[in-house]
Amino acid sequence: MQQAILDRPATREPIEPQSRRRTTLGAKDRTFGFMIALPAVLLFLVIAIYPLVSSIGTSLYDQSLLRPDRTFVGFDNYTAIFGEFMARLGTTLTFATLATIFPVLLGVALAVLLNARMRGRNILRGTLMLPWLLPGVVVSFLWAWIFNDSYGVLNHLLTMVGLPEVSMLGNPTGAMAAVVIAKTWHSFPWIMVVALSVLQTLPSEQLEAATIDGATRSQRFRYISLPHIVGPVALVATLEFIYNFGNFDTIFVMTGGGPGDSTTTLAVSLYQLAFGSYELGKASAMGVLWLILLAIISSAYLLLNRRLEKR
Amino acid sequence: MSRGRDIGEAIVRPRLSIPGRIALLLLALFGLLPIYWLASTAFMKKEAVFALDRPLFPVDPTLENFIGFFQNDALLQNLANSFIVSIGTAVLSVLVGGLMAYSLSKFRYRGRNPIMFMFLIGQLIPGALLLISLYLMLSSAGLLYTYTALIISFTTFTLPLVVFLLKGIIDGLPDDILEAAKVDGLSRIATMFQIVFPLVVPGLITAAMFAFMRGWSDLLFALTLAGPDKQTLPAGLTQAFIREGTADWPALMAASLITSLPLAIIFILLQRYFVSGLASGAVKG
Repeated sequence: MQQAILDRPATREPIEPQSRRRTTLGAKDRTFGFMIALPAVLLFLVIAIYPLVSSIGTSLYDQSLLRPDRTFVGFDNYTAIFGEFMARLGTTLTFATLATIFPVLLGVALAVLLNARMRGRNILRGTLMLPWLLPGVVVSFLWAWIFNDSYGVLNHLLTMVGLPEVSMLGNPTGAMAAVVIAKTWHSFPWIMVVALSVLQTLPSEQLEAATIDGATRSQRFRYISLPHIVGPVALVATLEFIYNFGNFDTIFVMTGGGPGDSTTTLAVSLYQLAFGSYELGKASAMGVLWLILLAIISSAYLLLNRRLEKR
Repeated sequence: MSRGRDIGEAIVRPRLSIPGRIALLLLALFGLLPIYWLASTAFMKKEAVFALDRPLFPVDPTLENFIGFFQNDALLQNLANSFIVSIGTAVLSVLVGGLMAYSLSKFRYRGRNPIMFMFLIGQLIPGALLLISLYLMLSSAGLLYTYTALIISFTTFTLPLVVFLLKGIIDGLPDDILEAAKVDGLSRIATMFQIVFPLVVPGLITAAMFAFMRGWSDLLFALTLAGPDKQTLPAGLTQAFIREGTADWPALMAASLITSLPLAIIFILLQRYFVSGLASGAVKG
């Protein structure tokens, strides 16, 4: 995919396989390779891996931002937050699932439609990237404004055409729908671009041959195009799910987790526990349980990634 | 030749049917109408959006919302902070990430696979899971509420991104170039700085821009690790408009447009690279 950035020079003579070439590198090259990796490795160990591990330690203490000292409490934090964790997990799964399915459907549909021949295709593709470009908070502000009960443009339009007004952010179901719509709007361009670029790598001979054999347009889509994009789309869908699982800004800005705690996902809940109630130990316990789940979901992603790379 | 290709093209890319066109129109409206509403609210007067007969386009357009932003010292400070922190993040990420990418791409050594695995996993760690430990770490290092705190915490998500983006690009450099440099007697460091990195300058810039955009957009760390003086625009806007309950929507939309403008400019400059970077899957949506 990177050829656009760096055109490979034409090969004049057969090059030996890269892997063989690389193993002929001397010991000094290997040392050099390791040395230039060190800054990034050390930095990442300190700022990401160590914090992840040390949160396990924190989760075993009664620790608060309001007190300087902490006391060891074993697994008490876990028993204290387990019920809440399960409740938030349900909300998180609802949000992450819906906010993955809709952008995938929308993105793939747009990719297929935009793959057709038409005037203004590139302009449309470019402008449809705009939502993806906006910072998450801007997306949330915008949709909070659109869904505003009293002055929002949605209700304004509904009234104009004689339909009843809807209250989105004021009730649990509406609030969940609102954050899912906002996140869908923010994410679909990414899926669209991935699906479109995969569609464009489809060898045209296959489609032509199928046409000659009498396949209809929908058959060509069903049996050639769709199988071609399924793998890469599944990969980005898994990534999208993982990111949605940890989403903070969309929900925090639009609903603050409310009304009640109907949209309080794990990320919002962890933030509130740590910086609203100052319960660092309990918040960390919640994080550790989340980490375990993340490990499971990530394995699925890594497996999928490996299978696609082998293809 | 052209005729044959036209027929092939028509099969690969058929024209849209009528239902297809309607579907495209509806989806495009969903994508673009909110953008229209963002821009048009930003030019409306505050009283106009609360009026009973509120218009759907800025009848009496005004710049007062934009002027208000630039007269607000706190927001201007946020804007400056955003630039400082995002540029810092981009520089740090590309500096150490570029070396890392070159190492992963062209060298084989013991520990390479675990290192690669660490960054692959690193891409998937949500900020919320690092938040508390980072807070405690930065606090005991005396770095809480500084630019450094934000740059460090943003680097947790920009570094893996930059590493994989650049690795993909450096992978495309033929090994012959390195061999030739060796034959010419260039040292390893000279090869890296005089041959490899100059060849991938567009990639380095793209990676820096991605890191900039991700840092620019973050809310969670900006809200918790920066404090009022050092926080970036997303945190500043959230507190100024939402938490205080003063929903001056036109002002908020104008501020949102201003916040989005640098990203739009970057996008226009680098559109070509964006699409390939996004498509390679190296980059988060």
